[in-house]
Amino acid sequence: MSYSTTPQAASAETGPATATRKLHPLVELHCDRTWFEELQNRLARGGPWDDWTLYQLTMEAEQAKRIESFDQLLCLRSLPSFEPMAHQISTARKVVHEMGGRAILADEVGLGKTIEAGLVLKEYIVRGLAKRILILVPASLVLQWVRELNQKFGISAVAQKKEHTWGYDVVVASIDTAKREPHREIVLGTDYDLIIIDEAHKLKNKKTTNYQFANLLRKKYCLLLTATPIQNDLDELYNLITLLKPGQLGGQSEFAANFVVDKRLPKNEDQLQEALSTIMIRNRRGDGGIHFTKRFVKNIPLLLSEEEKALYDAVTGFVRERYDESGGDMSSMLSLVTLQREVCSSRDAVFLTLVNLFKKTAEDSPLRPKIWELVEKIRNIKANTKAEKAMELVKEFNDKVIIFTEYRATQEYLLQFFRAQNMIAVPYRGGMNRGKKDWMMDLFRGRAQVLIATEAGGEGINLQFCHHMINFDLPWNPMRVEQRIGRVHRLGQKEDVKIYNLCTLGTIEEHIVNLLHEKINLFELVIGELDHILERFEKGDGSLEQKLAKVLLEAGNDTALKEQLNQLGSSLSRIRDEVKTVQVPYAPAPDLLVQLDSLGESVEVRP
Amino acid sequence: MNEKQVHKFVNRYLEATECSILEKSPAHFTVKLSPHADRELTNRPYYWSFVDRVNAEPETMTFLFVTDKEKYDAAEEAKTNAAAVDASVSEQDAAANAALGRSLGFIHGSLAAPARVPREDLYYGARKLDQLFDAAKAKGSFVYLFQEPAKRSGNPFNSSPYTAWLGVNMRVEFACDRKREEIHCFGVSLATGQCVEQFYDRLLAHKLTPRLPANIHITKNGISFNKALGLVEQALERKLRSYDYGWAENASTRLEEELARISGYYEPLLHNALAENKPAIEEQFTQRQSEIRWQYEPRVTMSAINCGIFHLEGID
Repeated sequence: MSYSTTPQAASAETGPATATRKLHPLVELHCDRTWFEELQNRLARGGPWDDWTLYQLTMEAEQAKRIESFDQLLCLRSLPSFEPMAHQISTARKVVHEMGGRAILADEVGLGKTIEAGLVLKEYIVRGLAKRILILVPASLVLQWVRELNQKFGISAVAQKKEHTWGYDVVVASIDTAKREPHREIVLGTDYDLIIIDEAHKLKNKKTTNYQFANLLRKKYCLLLTATPIQNDLDELYNLITLLKPGQLGGQSEFAANFVVDKRLPKNEDQLQEALSTIMIRNRRGDGGIHFTKRFVKNIPLLLSEEEKALYDAVTGFVRERYDESGGDMSSMLSLVTLQREVCSSRDAVFLTLVNLFKKTAEDSPLRPKIWELVEKIRNIKANTKAEKAMELVKEFNDKVIIFTEYRATQEYLLQFFRAQNMIAVPYRGGMNRGKKDWMMDLFRGRAQVLIATEAGGEGINLQFCHHMINFDLPWNPMRVEQRIGRVHRLGQKEDVKIYNLCTLGTIEEHIVNLLHEKINLFELVIGELDHILERFEKGDGSLEQKLAKVLLEAGNDTALKEQLNQLGSSLSRIRDEVKTVQVPYAPAPDLLVQLDSLGESVEVRP
Repeated sequence: MNEKQVHKFVNRYLEATECSILEKSPAHFTVKLSPHADRELTNRPYYWSFVDRVNAEPETMTFLFVTDKEKYDAAEEAKTNAAAVDASVSEQDAAANAALGRSLGFIHGSLAAPARVPREDLYYGARKLDQLFDAAKAKGSFVYLFQEPAKRSGNPFNSSPYTAWLGVNMRVEFACDRKREEIHCFGVSLATGQCVEQFYDRLLAHKLTPRLPANIHITKNGISFNKALGLVEQALERKLRSYDYGWAENASTRLEEELARISGYYEPLLHNALAENKPAIEEQFTQRQSEIRWQYEPRVTMSAINCGIFHLEGID
């Protein structure tokens, strides 16, 4: 008994079941008569007739659901389990009541753009204005969105997996999937009541297929989420707005004439701000408030036991040898460097890799006995220095602790180790299905004191209830380190976060910890800064990880290694300083070219 | 809807669908669903199609419906605290868990519990409650009822006259990019064509039954159903015409502005475009225009929530 609001349907509805007439010069009245037909049907057949109590309950439910006025935020009354922050509510209100449901949500990182989008989404659903909803996000965030919408907002969102998933009302998908056939045709053939695009700054270039795809989508309401609407170039902003409201800043040439001096320098900023204010909201962190709880980082230097050291040296020698033999071919060497890193983690990790390596080499290869020698060395190791230290720390905290490791084998070993000492620990890894992950999370929240997560588990879990974290070993990709920390150190964390890095002296690990800690000052960066640093650093030639591996292999001896790493480190800290000061000549807000202060409120984020 | 209203709603639903309530307090129900309610509420279409195909005896689910989370949790906590005194049981439990843990890895406490009784918190906005709303509507849309005679007439040959009414609860939606709703309840006497508002409230004052009471006779219908429908729609339309349409005027203004803005963007674009690109741009132009209309065009829709034929005492 509802009136469909899609454009095609609106024009097609002329059947006898609806009558349409003018109610007001501007307003048509649609009379839905399907109920009357059904009533007559049942009268003719003599039933079946429904129950009087249920008839009354239906009315009661409808009266409770009735939308009394145009301008309330109704979603709030159906979300008793969580309380959005004031700026999130006012943002949702503004989008729905003043912006007609098309907006760029450009809050700074950490202020809850997802929550704002969720509120808008819920509001339209509650009001019956949106039913078919598409949410496009980076692949790594799909599940997080689904969970958040289901748990916080009670919206039955579904992650797009198979072709038939598109049939659901609320679908979360990655744009890279959606734009490919066979999905493309389905998505472009649907009229969506609401489309949300997260990380929308990735659509800044209108020549990309993603942009063109987004531009083809048919939608009624639309939200674009990004913390950095203008990073490099004013055209980016123009392109984003064209997705939402073509012409809002005039045609391309008018825009260029009215608002742009140079592609990085705006003019007529007041007018530009005014034009933006009807389409963009940007809340910023307040200056005075405590943004987040603090991070305390402690490196815990450990000396390898004699047997462990022997293994490390042997493996290092082995890796060097192979590198020299290969004549500098990097591609096959990366896995060998992994060996070195694994020794620093646990013998189990390195053992597994060695066994695999052994299997891969030909039977008559001279390598085989050498590998076997290494395995023999593993046999000699009786204890794991790091694991013992970790145990000691956990006992000392007497509180929830999350331990991160890069390696599955290490994870298994630690589970065994902790269990043997009567400490309840649960695993968490990327390969687990959602149900199992949730279960592990519940166990950790409840009775387990320790969660042991591998890297893949780093994304998509929120652990605000825990504020101790041990990096059993460190990934070489700083982003991944940041993701680890981000699991614990986020909005909602009420305590200062304590991070412990276990670091074996005299190994590559020592250098890495030094690099990440001292040079990038990774552990104390403001959220979001790392993105910029890495983007610049990695421009052109390979990731930090690859560069590290290269340095490591090429350096002949320890001093050379130190020097090379130092160079790498200082270029990183230089970039870091640049990122902090860059763009100041253009605008006081360092990350954006245009002053957007009037487009939102300043929020004191208190944990 | 506050907790009390939800509680009352759930109670009435469970009773109307003949579910067996195993336990209840002002804050919760533990209930074994009736087959009918199970079909509506548990999302198990495969299970039910299986039961239907092989004619098996259905095993319905048992739920814990919590209508007042705070109260219920407080009560439960008090209970567990009391139980904690009985330490021997928990010790045994721990031993069992440890044994299971050795062989199965880690074991969730609830696995050791006997039968699973899923808990659902029912509050306004909860999905389960929405499902209850829908379930009520699925079987509460079309009724055919008689008023129970107020008093037994002494004379068995005395027949009281009844009138058939078409009763309908109408929802009116006023929508542009925003929306509000009203509910109007009409009743039309099929005997006389008299049309009254707030008919639903009048119904609530009576006792109604699906069975034809003894010793009544129903007055002959004076008007057709179609006529009755026309009367309802006319009455409602008359009412709607007297409303203020400022909101629609605003929406239309916005619509015009938006359309102008889009034209301002696409027309120069079309003008300068190469001939081969024109069709694509034009298509996008029309698409954007129709999106904007879809978004802003003011419209009013009336549809029925539910309806029925009601036989009431008297001739009106």
